[in-house]
Amino acid sequence: MARDQGAFRLHNPWPKIAWGMVALLVVVSTVLGFGVLSRYQQNGPTLDLWNAICRGLGLSADTAPAKEPVPALRTPTRIAWTSSTLDQIAAGDAQRGAFIAMNCVACHGQGGVSTSTLIPTLAGMDPAVIYKQLDDYRSGKRLWGVMGAIGKVVSAQDSADVAAYFAVQSHGLPPLRGYRLPESGRSLREPDPAKRLVYAGDPQRGIPPCSACHGPGGYKLGAPALQGQHADYIERQLVAFAQGIRQNDIFEQMRMIAKQLTPDEMHAVAAFYGARGGAPSAAGVAVR
Amino acid sequence: MQNSSRLALYHYWVAFAVFLPAVVLGAWQMLIRSPLPAPLDDPDAYYASVTLHGTAMAYVVTTFFAMGFGYAVTATSLGRPVRGVAAAWICFVICLIGTLMAVAAVLAGHASVLYTFYPPLLASSWYYGGAFLLIGGSMIWVVLMIYNMTSWKRDNPGRPVPLAMFAITATAILWAWAASGVIVELVGILLPRSLGLTTEIDAGLARTLFSVTLHAIVYFWLMPAYIAFYTLLPQAAGGRLYSDTMGRLTFIMFIIFSVPVGMHHLFADPEHGAGMKFLQSFLTFFVALPTLLTVFSICASLEIAGRARGGRGLLGWIPALPWGEPMVLATGLSLVMLGLGGFGGLINMGYAMNSMIHNTSWVTAHFHMIFGGAVVIMYFAIAYEMWPRITGKPLQSKALARWQLWLWFAGMMIASIPWHITGLMGQPRRVAVFDYSDPFVARMGPLVIISVIGGAILLVSAILLIVILVRSQLGERRLEAPLRYALAVNPPKTVPAALNGFALWNAILLVLMVFAYGYPIGQFFILKSKVPAYEVSGPTNSVGGVDGP
Repeated sequence: MARDQGAFRLHNPWPKIAWGMVALLVVVSTVLGFGVLSRYQQNGPTLDLWNAICRGLGLSADTAPAKEPVPALRTPTRIAWTSSTLDQIAAGDAQRGAFIAMNCVACHGQGGVSTSTLIPTLAGMDPAVIYKQLDDYRSGKRLWGVMGAIGKVVSAQDSADVAAYFAVQSHGLPPLRGYRLPESGRSLREPDPAKRLVYAGDPQRGIPPCSACHGPGGYKLGAPALQGQHADYIERQLVAFAQGIRQNDIFEQMRMIAKQLTPDEMHAVAAFYGARGGAPSAAGVAVR
Repeated sequence: MQNSSRLALYHYWVAFAVFLPAVVLGAWQMLIRSPLPAPLDDPDAYYASVTLHGTAMAYVVTTFFAMGFGYAVTATSLGRPVRGVAAAWICFVICLIGTLMAVAAVLAGHASVLYTFYPPLLASSWYYGGAFLLIGGSMIWVVLMIYNMTSWKRDNPGRPVPLAMFAITATAILWAWAASGVIVELVGILLPRSLGLTTEIDAGLARTLFSVTLHAIVYFWLMPAYIAFYTLLPQAAGGRLYSDTMGRLTFIMFIIFSVPVGMHHLFADPEHGAGMKFLQSFLTFFVALPTLLTVFSICASLEIAGRARGGRGLLGWIPALPWGEPMVLATGLSLVMLGLGGFGGLINMGYAMNSMIHNTSWVTAHFHMIFGGAVVIMYFAIAYEMWPRITGKPLQSKALARWQLWLWFAGMMIASIPWHITGLMGQPRRVAVFDYSDPFVARMGPLVIISVIGGAILLVSAILLIVILVRSQLGERRLEAPLRYALAVNPPKTVPAALNGFALWNAILLVLMVFAYGYPIGQFFILKSKVPAYEVSGPTNSVGGVDGP
């Protein structure tokens, strides 16, 4: 750009007028935004100028916590998906995990492929899911006699290692196939209630689609992929959430959802997931 | 000239070749959201489709169209070939590769994050890489436009830069400012996370950076239409431009007021204070100035043309205008949609009123009316005006072109007016399927069905557009009058240096940007607001181990 335009030479009329107007704009908008708008509060006393500016910037240290009876804090889990947690899970050592896993095979089956329909298959499960459940057992957030005892003796590092081990075992849960292919009948118009709940949910009851977190297609950190899991196990967990026996779901999503499902719907959804993925227990064990 | 023309033509073809399938997707999306049965009623397909529709329309069609238009304007308004043709072809190839990468990632289902990215949603790095190549590659075009203008000024000292060239350079500069936000977001946040170099995403910072782009990009789309208003329309109507200076001021004001205002897209976001939001809301109102100036000066130019053609009386000049000319007809229809959409926009930008319609389908309807209607209809008119001059092959039938423009207008009105109303009724946007058995949603059903009809009309119009252009391309070559730009009533002999270049205005915008975005962006370097990302592409959001095949 040519220099002769004198963008900063204020004796030229154009720069003088332009800068003057911009300065006016800046002053007026600042005064209105921070001096006027932020000062007068609908439900509180008028703020002084300093607090008004802070509030305008989004720094609202002036707002004292509301004085209402606070219920006792009950966190559903100690796990938060911070980078240190994720790093620890990612650093899990599958070889070391194999030794720890010897304590699991009696119930969860050889290589984590469970033969009992009430005990979940762990082979191929996301390591973050296993890690979270072990931590919940350790901290007593999820209650189940045997697992509670085991959880108390495995450290966080042990959990990460054993999770890494089960994650890479085959013949268990089917490999997650990224994004699923588009297919008709996955909307609210679907007549089959199980398929409708899994893919479209039920907005009138505030139930989101199961597949948004548990697959197929959508997967969320810490939510297990359910395809190929034992139907009986899934159904039992839904009942446990509905009755409040199991409470380790962050933000209570599963309790909110499960208590609105009818027993028939729980059965249908569990059967839907259990049937999908080629019945791992039967097929997997037969191969061995 | 030959090379410049081929350059423009290739860009136009890419733009319109992407346009038609994107309209097909749009029509299908209207159908799946409606109570009517739709083929492939799958919510995931809907989100992939919305991403593709948005990416194609907002990034690909507009960028290629503006670049092609820029080369055509440079060659014709300066009366000499475009300088830097080799760089221009390299730019074309980079942008095309970027487009293909992004489209492939969306089609593979690994990028259903919508074209505005919505972090912490995370798509495949192919999508972000493609978007980066497309947007970053177009910066070569920005440099070429500035280079062509400055070299012409050097060769013609003291002479005013032709208004068309001044305006397209303003467009390029605006695009550079606008794109800075999304480029920083892609390079600094999204690409590193999608490549696995980082583990978390600062969603607030990413959204704030994108807001720098999100409003100004709309004006980047709008500018070719405004250039046509100022430089092509008066000529097509058989008159003169009312004022050259007003045109220059308009484009300068667009540069200044369309960038430091993007936070009005974040009124419902928690990461910013009310003061900063109000401040940008206040600045946003000044964007109305250049548009009002344009409406005034276009109406004045049309009145000059109408009276020159024998129109008498207070309004007698209006029927005297040559409404058979696609350019004149398109402008008339465009101004109607710009007016309606513009008043809707005032509601969007108002800090308090925004909360009534935030994230409802009102917003979608608004930008379809403004961009899909007022702007795109001018793209059609520009194509009809320039195609024959570039190829030397005239349009086969102006009547068909008029049909196409009327259908587009009718379709957009029928689609977007009920859409506005459902937004006021509380229908959220970005939702794939609605439960029309719910009494709250059921009353929106009839309106949504009317929108679907509008979508079908738009699809017919888009097909007609391609038919018209292909017929022209296949037709025989005839001698065409070269493209002429409208003369002003008082053609400028000299203009003040401030109205012949952009240094002053870039300096002012820089100051305003620091004022408007300095704190909102700076605060993130103190706040600890990073969160894990949600990959939309399936199991890879796991911490490791269970990658799909």
